[in-house]
Amino acid sequence: MFGKLVARRPRRALALASTLLLGASLTACSPPTSDEGGGGGSDEIILGRSMDTTTLDLSRNFCDSCQIYNGAVYETLLTATAADAELEPLLAESWEANEDNTEFTFHLRDDVTFADGSPLEAKDVKWSWERLKNIKGNASFMMDGVSGIDTPDEHTVVVHSEYPNSAFFNIASASYMGIINSDVAIENGATADENAESSDEAEQWFMANSAGSGQYVLDSYQEGSSLVLTQNENYWGEEPNFSKVTIKDVADSSSQLQQLQQGDIDVAMQLSFDALDQIEADDNIASEVVPTYNFVYVALSPGAPGAPEALGDPEVRDAIRKAIDYDTVIDAVVAGHADKQSTAIPNGFDGSADLPLPEYDVAAAKKQLADAGYADGFDIDVTFPTFTIYGVNFSTMFQSIQQSLSEVGITLNLNPIEYSAWSEQLGSAGIPMTSVYYAPDHPDTVQYAQYFSRAEGATWGDRAGLPADPKQTDLMADSLAQTGDERLATLTELGQAMYDDAIILPIANPQVILANGTNVEGNNYHITHNIDLEQLTFTD
Amino acid sequence: MLRFTLKRLALVPFLLWGIVTIAFFLSHSISSNPLASIVGERNLNNPQIVAAAKAKWGLDESLGMQYLLYLKNLLQGDMGTSFRTRQPVLSDLTTRLPATFELALAALLIGVLLGIVLGMLAARFKGKALDSVIRVLALTGSSLPIFWVGLLFLFLFYATLGIAPGPGRLSARVEPPDFITGFYTVDSLLAGNGPLFYDAFIHLLMPAFVMSLPLLGTVIRMVRAQILQEESADYVRTARAKGLTTTQVLNRHVLRNAITPVVTIIGISIGMLIMGAVLIETIFSWNGIGTYAVESARSLDFPAITGVCLVGGAIFLLANLLTDLAYAVIDPRVRLR
Repeated sequence: MFGKLVARRPRRALALASTLLLGASLTACSPPTSDEGGGGGSDEIILGRSMDTTTLDLSRNFCDSCQIYNGAVYETLLTATAADAELEPLLAESWEANEDNTEFTFHLRDDVTFADGSPLEAKDVKWSWERLKNIKGNASFMMDGVSGIDTPDEHTVVVHSEYPNSAFFNIASASYMGIINSDVAIENGATADENAESSDEAEQWFMANSAGSGQYVLDSYQEGSSLVLTQNENYWGEEPNFSKVTIKDVADSSSQLQQLQQGDIDVAMQLSFDALDQIEADDNIASEVVPTYNFVYVALSPGAPGAPEALGDPEVRDAIRKAIDYDTVIDAVVAGHADKQSTAIPNGFDGSADLPLPEYDVAAAKKQLADAGYADGFDIDVTFPTFTIYGVNFSTMFQSIQQSLSEVGITLNLNPIEYSAWSEQLGSAGIPMTSVYYAPDHPDTVQYAQYFSRAEGATWGDRAGLPADPKQTDLMADSLAQTGDERLATLTELGQAMYDDAIILPIANPQVILANGTNVEGNNYHITHNIDLEQLTFTD
Repeated sequence: MLRFTLKRLALVPFLLWGIVTIAFFLSHSISSNPLASIVGERNLNNPQIVAAAKAKWGLDESLGMQYLLYLKNLLQGDMGTSFRTRQPVLSDLTTRLPATFELALAALLIGVLLGIVLGMLAARFKGKALDSVIRVLALTGSSLPIFWVGLLFLFLFYATLGIAPGPGRLSARVEPPDFITGFYTVDSLLAGNGPLFYDAFIHLLMPAFVMSLPLLGTVIRMVRAQILQEESADYVRTARAKGLTTTQVLNRHVLRNAITPVVTIIGISIGMLIMGAVLIETIFSWNGIGTYAVESARSLDFPAITGVCLVGGAIFLLANLLTDLAYAVIDPRVRLR
């Protein structure tokens, strides 16, 4: 009896398998439409991008994709326009600073509600910013210098700073400075206390819930798959253009293009310039190439272990800058779709306008090297992370730079490694020559001085192993105490000092392809949100 | 058999402890910085933020203490929290494992059933054109790298011809079913949602077929060879002499003996398919355990790496045990002690 059963099982299984496979092969010929699958309506927009999100906790996150989420779900007191990065009111209807830029007063709108319908009050601003500071997260530096926050009434917030900080209004427009519904957050384990770094227990709650006043609320997040936002039914302002926004994690440019062509996504955010001809030839895709404020740079650290002695000489570093064939490198990495940039202050930011752009000049570079005693050149170990950012593949970029520098006798020994291994070296001993990228957090130049200059405490000044420059320290302090034309002149002088240091050599200020289906309009690049969802609409 | 099963099960905790220990110390021995994925490049030199992150994630303890704490938490069912996803590792695995299981089981089903059918056909028509075609298919399936086949299929059937669904488990605007088993095909059926089942099924088909190719090739060749070998056995001649048709002999006698080695392949393949799903999951945007393992390794997410190793080890151990038990059921000559 057992034998008969065994003998019959394969026959049934085979019949079932044949039926399944036949059915499958027939059905696979006609994928269902959205509605057949039980999906959403036509006012759901899907953005495709490679997501770098780690956490959705506003006080802890810090990434390009986070900026989109933050901007859609939480709101800031002030906001930067997408067009020219000028400040506009959002949750605050007016704002002013005292004469020495140490006290900043915001007058809040009185008609703002959070997604749960409760009113936004000054205490929420105080709590959100104190939590951002005390949680000691990646964006806590935004609150550097803030010594106290007062709330004289429900709609007034006064921020006190230990030192003059004329950048604070710009900083307040950063997406990380969004306002959280403090009552809801506290109910779910959040705290803004001084020991919030250890006592706050709300991060996991924020991975599945949101507590903002923005046009959208968090619906769901599945790491590696999608981030889904739905319309905030209690939104205090204009109704959002979409009932649902999905950010789909699509790892690479070619997949994003395929899915855009097939209509599976409506906007592709990180298309490679290699595919630009194909994109422009496709009647079903609307595209535009626009400038950004992002940049990719080479960093030289004379003080890092293994750095050649020559790197300690600013003339040699300047010679390296002159020996790079920028046009060829930009052609190689982004098919020519990038601008050159003077120093670590992006084109368009205060202080960048009058700075010299780097020029490829082999003869001048050779002469400078010879004058410095390095006519025969030298070797540099280059360690960099193996990734592509803003369309720039670091390996391709360094291969092109390697070729350029070989013309003046400088040999680059390329060592591409995984990001975590690279970070270990960068965070400990340092790396003689490497490459990184930067996207603005807010519309103020001071972020670049604080990170790239040789002012006291600046990150790359320390990494370079060079002593702090008192002049740059003073210029940065001055710029924070000034406003208007006076400040612009100081920032230009600081930029020139950074240029002369030649520690940071920007290689490319890449443009971006805004690509979407022809039924979408308003696609844009936004300085603090990456994309401003309010401007996006469907045309039909 | 019960004694054998209990003995093997009793060994499992010790084997898993060994796997956890090796995974823990190996991942910590790499000269890389897990803080890069936690604090980011910009804050690597900020002592205040680095110290806060180390304290929060327990990285300020000695390695030995970290290991003991991990084991202590593990015994209480806590596999730690992922540095990268900021979710409990157990929750991450629970969410992602069903996706990989569904894909792997579909691939196993296609590889084994189609492999047996084609292997039988190849043996039945030995030396004929059909045999040659099937043998070429088997060779192709075994030798072509599946990542390349996957990319090719996507390019051809999705991007160019537009006749197959794109990457992912469901179409872009389709909502997943409520979580019951985590298998979208099963959950959609349980919910009585036919269109959703259809969408999940057609999305499963192409990645599962591509994933099954190496197994398919192996099963075809094995079944064909076994059948041809068995056909010359005495009992087959006896069966024929009793008047049974060729099909009856094949199905009732030869296949049963020929299929025994396939069980071994199935046992090995279950573990291999699940833990080797990395490439297919990456190409087809299948958010399962494979992509989780890769991303965790790349960001030195220690709790996630150890968790994946633990689950992977458990799957292999279970699959091997089931294979041994299945052997005993299918082949009475096998006695387990």
